[in-house]
Amino acid sequence: MRDLFSIARKEIIIALRERLVVSLGIIILLLLGVALYAGYLSYSQQSRIIAEKQQEKRQEWLGQGDKHPHIAAHYGTFVFKPKTILSVFDFGLDTYTGTSIYLEAHHQHEFMFRPAQDHSSMIRFGELSAALVLHVLLPLLIIFLAFSSFTKEKETGTLKLLLSQGVSYATITWGKVLAYGVALVVILAPYIAGMFILATFSVSSSFIPDVALRTILLVVVYMLYIFIFLSLAVWVSLRSATGRNALLTLLACWIFLVILMPKTVANLSESFHTLPSMRAFKEAIQNDIRDGVDGQTPRSVRRGKLEKEYLQKYQVDSVHQLPFNFEGVSMQAGEEYGNMVYDIHWKKLRDIFHRQNRMGSIASIFNPYLAVQHLSMALSATDMHTAIDFEDKVETYRRELVRKMNNDMAQNSRYGEFYEYKASIDLWNEVEDFSYVVPSAFEILQYYKLEMISIVGWSILIILLLNYSNRKSKPIHG
Amino acid sequence: MLQATNLTKKYGDFTALNGLNLSINSGDIFCLLGANGAGKSTTINLFLNFIEPSGGQATINSMDVKQYPKETKQLLSYIPENLMLYPNLTGLENLDFFCGLGGKRYSKEQLEELLAQSGLQPDFIHQRVSSYSKGMRQKVGIALARARGAGVLLLDEPTSGLDPKASNEFSELLLDMKEKGVATLMATHDLFRAKDTGTHIGIMKEGVLIEQFKSEDVSFQDLEKLYLKHMHN
Repeated sequence: MRDLFSIARKEIIIALRERLVVSLGIIILLLLGVALYAGYLSYSQQSRIIAEKQQEKRQEWLGQGDKHPHIAAHYGTFVFKPKTILSVFDFGLDTYTGTSIYLEAHHQHEFMFRPAQDHSSMIRFGELSAALVLHVLLPLLIIFLAFSSFTKEKETGTLKLLLSQGVSYATITWGKVLAYGVALVVILAPYIAGMFILATFSVSSSFIPDVALRTILLVVVYMLYIFIFLSLAVWVSLRSATGRNALLTLLACWIFLVILMPKTVANLSESFHTLPSMRAFKEAIQNDIRDGVDGQTPRSVRRGKLEKEYLQKYQVDSVHQLPFNFEGVSMQAGEEYGNMVYDIHWKKLRDIFHRQNRMGSIASIFNPYLAVQHLSMALSATDMHTAIDFEDKVETYRRELVRKMNNDMAQNSRYGEFYEYKASIDLWNEVEDFSYVVPSAFEILQYYKLEMISIVGWSILIILLLNYSNRKSKPIHG
Repeated sequence: MLQATNLTKKYGDFTALNGLNLSINSGDIFCLLGANGAGKSTTINLFLNFIEPSGGQATINSMDVKQYPKETKQLLSYIPENLMLYPNLTGLENLDFFCGLGGKRYSKEQLEELLAQSGLQPDFIHQRVSSYSKGMRQKVGIALARARGAGVLLLDEPTSGLDPKASNEFSELLLDMKEKGVATLMATHDLFRAKDTGTHIGIMKEGVLIEQFKSEDVSFQDLEKLYLKHMHN
């Protein structure tokens, strides 16, 4: 161990004296600082706007005055997706999923105010987030830091001198990994500290209660990611004859893992599991609502059947004789039929999403970059599963809102008196304000088992590879 | 101290070293002469366990270098033809680092003393090695050998490329270590240095030690004639 620490200390001193490494470290730290600052500005601005708008829309709902409940159901309201403090770190899909949604009877509207819509096409290359810097640029820093870790020793002859002191390859290798690891942790320490401070003192913790745990898990995931790339760079250097070969090999790996493979997987998953256009999706829902899921039970037939059922049940001849307003029952039945149709189509759509995601998850077994990208979004609560969870809860809220309006109409008004009956603020108050709590990290991580296996598997694999190569290496082949 | 018993190294059909038998005792400086490819460096690399023998055994203090790689390396110091140190560290930092690997810890003053005793000018001790000449680096190598208290010195053409003054200084340092009982195996092309510094001389050709004798038994002229005779045959 003493030799290992001596080698690590020497490597750190040399790295500090090499300007390129220090300059790259400073650039990474600056980029992280800029990303954190920009992310925090965006977070605080959006959080403030969301809080204001949510309050404003709630007041609008409560202050809409006396009106028929069904008109209120169409008047609707807005709900907003709260920004989590961890979105400062990883914007994830937030840029694409939107921040607010309009809720009304009969319609499931799509999210509005997607930041990606307001940006130029450059957004497709990714906004500058801390996660992007760590996913994409940090491996480059690691490559420049470690590509010559062994080749330089081989080329200059210091490796022979080192080995002649009785030091093993394993000691040299792990000493180097330790040194670069320490250097990177020192570079990242201010950033990690900043993240912890933000996460701990964040006001948003009410809807992301396990923010501290998520932050710790994020640090663990990124530490493993750094370890994997670092060890890979040292391993390639150990196996390469020259620094040039090591650098080219590592850059080729970086291009493949970080650029080519993720794009290819995304394109392939889209080709294999194509999503319908939004227009086709909505048209299919409208057609099924109009003509029935089987295409043979249009709205009028369904209403007639419902009317017949109720007349028989209450032993009356006309809906006017029912002890409640049949219009309310009919509207709720229509709403429920619409919900059922929506659920069928939404499930199909989600199945496609899941199949696409499944391809990404399987690919992540072969690519730690993809695994970390997915885990980072999941832990930052900016992933697809959290977005779907939010949409589910919004839809549940919308259905409950509409159900309350329809029930009130059925119970308190009479058939044919659509414009006469008016509900008041008492009813509006019965609809509680929407509040969202993000699922726990462990719930969300259930969807990312392959990614977790990938990260741990790659860490073990790279340790085994290094140990094997350490045993087999000789300063002179023969 | 250093012993080779029927030591052989083959690369496929090519025999780089063929049945070498050699014994070097404490206070001996054994100079191996021979043309390029004669097997001199192969012998040193086998004693360093940098390559594995195809047959025979290399021992240091009766320990097989293959069986006891770490223990035998604790006993030796190695100076290659072109000793390369870490250019971004000073001479003193390099010495401190390599001593530390051998488990030896010295104060800054002791390290300065060791470097000065090995002939490194005081002005250079705290300068980065990137500004050192080859001779200066070899002196750091000698300082390292002294600091480690190595009983065995393996030198692979250490004076090659040195100017006569530096080469002479290096020889004096070797003689000083000889007095301290260090057993030295030196591969060299330099007949004059071998005769002047060595206690024993061996001539190698095509992987075979074809002649070995005490250096005091031959004059420089006889050594030159003998060497050339073997090289031309």
